[in-house]
Amino acid sequence: MANTRAIRRRIKGVQNTAKITKAMEMIASSKMRKAQERGLAGRPYSEKIKQVIADVAALPQSESDLHPLLKRRPVKKIAVIHITPDRGLSGGLDSNLNRKAASFMLQQQVLVSMVLVGKRGIDYMRRFNREIRAEFSKLGDKPSLIDTLPIARIVMEDYSQGLVDMVYVVYPRFVNTMKQIPVVEQLLPIVPGESNKDHNTDYIFEPDAKAVLDVILPRFVESEIYHAILESIASEQSARMVAMRNATESANELLEALTLAYYKARQESITSELLDIVTGSSAIG
Amino acid sequence: MAKGKVIQVIGTVVDVEFPANQLPALYNAIEINTDSGKIVLEVESHLPNNWIRCVSLSPTEGLQRGAEAIDTGAPVKVPVGKVTLGRLFNVLGDPLDDLGEVKAEDRWVIHRSPPPFEDQSKTTQTLETGLKALDLITPFTKGGKVGAYGGAGVGKTVIIQELIRNIASEHGGYSVFTGIGERSREGNDLWNEMKASGVLGKTVMVFGQMNEPPGVRLRVGLTGLTMAEYFRDTQHMDVLLFIDNIYRYTLAGMEVSALLGRMPSAVGYQPTLSTEVGDLEERITSTKSGSITSFQAVYVPADDYTDPGVATTFGHLDAVVALDRSIAAQGLYPAVDPLTSSSRILDPRVVGEEHYNVAIRVKQVLQRYKDLQDIISILGIEELSEEDRLTVARARRIQRFLSQPMFVSEVFTGRPGKYVPMKETVRGFKEILEGKHDTLPEQAFFMVGTIDEAVEAAKKLQQ
Repeated sequence: MANTRAIRRRIKGVQNTAKITKAMEMIASSKMRKAQERGLAGRPYSEKIKQVIADVAALPQSESDLHPLLKRRPVKKIAVIHITPDRGLSGGLDSNLNRKAASFMLQQQVLVSMVLVGKRGIDYMRRFNREIRAEFSKLGDKPSLIDTLPIARIVMEDYSQGLVDMVYVVYPRFVNTMKQIPVVEQLLPIVPGESNKDHNTDYIFEPDAKAVLDVILPRFVESEIYHAILESIASEQSARMVAMRNATESANELLEALTLAYYKARQESITSELLDIVTGSSAIG
Repeated sequence: MAKGKVIQVIGTVVDVEFPANQLPALYNAIEINTDSGKIVLEVESHLPNNWIRCVSLSPTEGLQRGAEAIDTGAPVKVPVGKVTLGRLFNVLGDPLDDLGEVKAEDRWVIHRSPPPFEDQSKTTQTLETGLKALDLITPFTKGGKVGAYGGAGVGKTVIIQELIRNIASEHGGYSVFTGIGERSREGNDLWNEMKASGVLGKTVMVFGQMNEPPGVRLRVGLTGLTMAEYFRDTQHMDVLLFIDNIYRYTLAGMEVSALLGRMPSAVGYQPTLSTEVGDLEERITSTKSGSITSFQAVYVPADDYTDPGVATTFGHLDAVVALDRSIAAQGLYPAVDPLTSSSRILDPRVVGEEHYNVAIRVKQVLQRYKDLQDIISILGIEELSEEDRLTVARARRIQRFLSQPMFVSEVFTGRPGKYVPMKETVRGFKEILEGKHDTLPEQAFFMVGTIDEAVEAAKKLQQ
């Protein structure tokens, strides 16, 4: 019967899909562990430097010798670094990110230029016909800091030259394996910390504040971006593992339903063939 | 009048012996008078020993071996002409309504040949039904044949009755309704409904419902058809012929086939299946002088469209309306499956470029949705690209917009029926395809008439 053959073909197809999703789940789960370690390992450093920089930025300084990355200007144009995975099949992760970035972008009253990291974001954002300053992809699962430097360089240059007046970064913050939240964070100008009067840190600059800030501020931006990318990778692998596990489960469920349907159809065709033979032979006899 | 005697009675099949040179011709009607009334048989085959094998057109209770049988010398004849209008008949042309005798000037034999090739005509004029799903996907032809296919309880009879309401009421000419092997209650409902709507005076009704023996269900289609043919051939009129349900005709043939001594063929059907279906279907046709537009409900056993009894009728039809259980299960009525339904005149030269394109695109969108369904059920809707997600959203809106409240089911659904002109139908689907209504909630498209009503419904939902 044609019907049973059609069902069998679908069963084969779903079985193959389940095999692939199962394999992807296992790959993702092995990558996930390392990616999570890397993402979380960077976090204390990132948070500490953020605090220090915020404190430094909060120090009273004269407007003229303010470091270019600390300068605030009236906002005429902003840049958004949009960090997404290169690959899909990670559940709602990339579409949530894209939606978050797009809605943020569309809300802005000023011009927006996009710096896109990761294919999923690139493909999505290209459709809006907005300014795309740069595109980065194929950073891989284990990018080194050097791989991410060009991203930082572009936004820092644009900012210091006054091409953009604010820089945001959109990335998936890794909470745990089951949960990743897309967040929008301001990167430049560096947000001064609420000058906590209580611990009133006194910094001594050697040789002087300018020389130290010249080195430390770009390094801060670089590390923030690097860290966001690491979080993104950790999120991606976790989301993928969960998504693929769900996919494998639903494929197996579908498989069960199809198999049942197949057995029924097969039994039915056997019964009707038997009936044909029996009635035929009894009619002759 | 030759007289014979009953030799053998096997349920509904009766063997009669006649004197050697007075054998009744095939299809002749044979009468037997019993204590419980007259029994009419129809000759189906001649056996050796001067026996003839007959199918009974009446219940055979009270029939005895040895009873006297009289050859009437002719096949069953039924009254035709204007006197039949407004009346209710059985297979033999006897009235079933207590309105007295039918004084027909003319009686026609129910076995006739189809019109010759040179007299047949094919018009390509569309017939508006007021049902969105049908007008868009399966436009009907004036003088054409339409089949409504569906398993048990998906709404075949409701569609046929809605068509009667929408077309027969608007249509000036006569219509003939033939009930074959369906519920007797439906016949009664229809009779009362037609009386109420005032179209009964232009309608002939013939019933051989499921309580009757197979011989009746095998021949009652011919009775109704003969009455319709009279209007077509002698009055040169355009007649509507409704048949509910043509599959019961096939089934009745199957019931008597083995008793007549034929060997069952595929799936137990009679070996003469396609001949039998052809005998009836070929006569339902339009000629140069008049036309018969027919609407036939076709029951699909076990939802299996490859069933020989179902597949044989396919080829005879101009338009096929396939009703699908999975659509009916979602509460979307009429449960027309746009992907398997088709019409011969869905052609840009007949329905126009715009209608054709919209119908094809609706089918494409729904097909794409169907293809994506496995992906959605395994990976989730999140994995679809933006375009595919839009396709899915529109497909779901189209599916809902294909539903429509019907006049005949008003008492069940509580929603007043809607008649949608074909132009409005095409415009509505075109706008959905163009994405004009992507922002409206899906629910707004459910059970509405025109697209403007969907917009209205959306406003109400948002409040």
